[in-house]
Amino acid sequence: MMRFSTLMKHPADWMTGADTDSAIVLTSRIRLARNIKDAPFPGWARKAERIKILPELRDKVETLSEMKDAFSHQLSELSSVQKQVLVERHLISREQAARSEGSAIVVNRNQTLSIMINEEDHLRLQSIRSGLHLREAYQLIANIDKDLEQSLPFAFDHELGYLTACPTNVGTGLRASAMLHLPGLVISDHIGQVIQAVGKLGLAVRGIFGEGTESLGHLFQISNQSTLGESEEDILDRLERVIQRVREQERNARSKLLEEDPQMLADKISRAYGQLKYAYVIDSKEALTYISLVRLGSDMGCFPKEAMKLCDSLLMDIEPAHLQHKANRKLSPEERDTMRAEIIRSRLQNLSSPVINFINS
Amino acid sequence: MLCALAKKTLSAGAFPFAILNLQSSMTLAMQCEYCNNKATVFYTQIIDGIGKKSCLCESCAHEQGITDPEGFLLGSQDIENHGEPSKPKALPTIEIPVSKQSDRCCPGCGFAFDDLKKTGRLGCSKCYDFFRAEIKNNLGGMHKGTSHTGRVPAGMLEAFKERQELEKLEEKLNLAINSEDYEEAASLRDQISKITSPEQQTKS
Repeated sequence: MMRFSTLMKHPADWMTGADTDSAIVLTSRIRLARNIKDAPFPGWARKAERIKILPELRDKVETLSEMKDAFSHQLSELSSVQKQVLVERHLISREQAARSEGSAIVVNRNQTLSIMINEEDHLRLQSIRSGLHLREAYQLIANIDKDLEQSLPFAFDHELGYLTACPTNVGTGLRASAMLHLPGLVISDHIGQVIQAVGKLGLAVRGIFGEGTESLGHLFQISNQSTLGESEEDILDRLERVIQRVREQERNARSKLLEEDPQMLADKISRAYGQLKYAYVIDSKEALTYISLVRLGSDMGCFPKEAMKLCDSLLMDIEPAHLQHKANRKLSPEERDTMRAEIIRSRLQNLSSPVINFINS
Repeated sequence: MLCALAKKTLSAGAFPFAILNLQSSMTLAMQCEYCNNKATVFYTQIIDGIGKKSCLCESCAHEQGITDPEGFLLGSQDIENHGEPSKPKALPTIEIPVSKQSDRCCPGCGFAFDDLKKTGRLGCSKCYDFFRAEIKNNLGGMHKGTSHTGRVPAGMLEAFKERQELEKLEEKLNLAINSEDYEEAASLRDQISKITSPEQQTKS
């Protein structure tokens, strides 16, 4: 079985931008909700009922060929920092992190597949890929689903499809999403229009970091809302089309900024680099903003290609639980800000100053 | 006008799908749309990009579950009319008095439909059978459609297809009857009974 330390030491490819084109669409994610017929949903079940059904489900999940030598733990076996680290790596949900005995997480070796047991639903199957590859991710999940349905009696209704604890997931039980980096649209102040347009198509847009509508690091998630009355194909088609259009708009926004105000862009990118390189105390809001701009700079040729990977790893490594896991103790916010700056400085040590070649003098 | 609209659709159990704006005080003196008290809670729901505003007093808002954003957020039926005055629907929204409702519990897990307002989740898969009408009434604004068109578990594919075929034939039959094409109707009825009779045997 895979150990927590192994999981930490080897972040998945998709966490550090493996795809050649993850400049705007960082990751694609598929989540499928499945439940066992007639058994009470985890949220309604008594603790004893959850504990009883867990080994039956876990056994089926662990014997999947995809789960050979997997990371598999009951939530009660993990410390709160470990759980939080898994949340920051998108391997479990916040809801699952709050659970303990009677719930489990099983992650395959290359961390492309994670299965939560007794979360809101009995099973939550999730697959993440780098770049815009919703179909690839779905394919893996669909195969896992087919394997599991041979030995598990899934709750299915002729009219309402797969039955889920929350009626918002009923039907396909499919939630597909992508994480997008949209600094061009934010800086040019067009993000509001885009969010509204995407919303009109029945898709949801939300910031990845930050509360409510605020988005830190110019990172956004677009996902489907409707799960009933559309096939899996239709859901993926529609979402993919919209994501491609948003990606195009981000490209246009970047070109327009380059053309209309290259000084402003050069200033933002270069200052961001300076702040990150020389800061001794930096909170996560500030850090995310500057990392986003250096990431943008990398896409515009100001930094070598590797800079983008560096930014993607940093996004994860400077989060609170990652810092505390590294320090191996609880840190006060002030201590975190200092440690965050230290990590960023050391990572940027070999990144040379930005080359600005888009200003015609 | 919008306020009056919401009154029709927000009966017991039908809740706004997304509450994006919840304010507890406003200087405008407005009346609650449920009683004549002064409205102090204003909320905007946005579904598929269409916004709708409502105003309520504190106690009605609480009664309607609006002050609890974690509550069960079923789509308001009204939204599919895009803010136009709502036509009376064939299926009424749930107007079962709360006291009667709480008497009904799912035979599978003991879940009462009222619990849904508190938790936003159902109790087990049988709840969908037991509260089917209530749940279906509230699915309106939430999803693209009201019946499943996606993947079906391998073992259930045949039964599922048969059921869908049956629905299609019944629809055609209605059309044939309406257009007084009795020859077509007779043949459709034959096809339907061919499917249903063995099904009834296996069911019993």
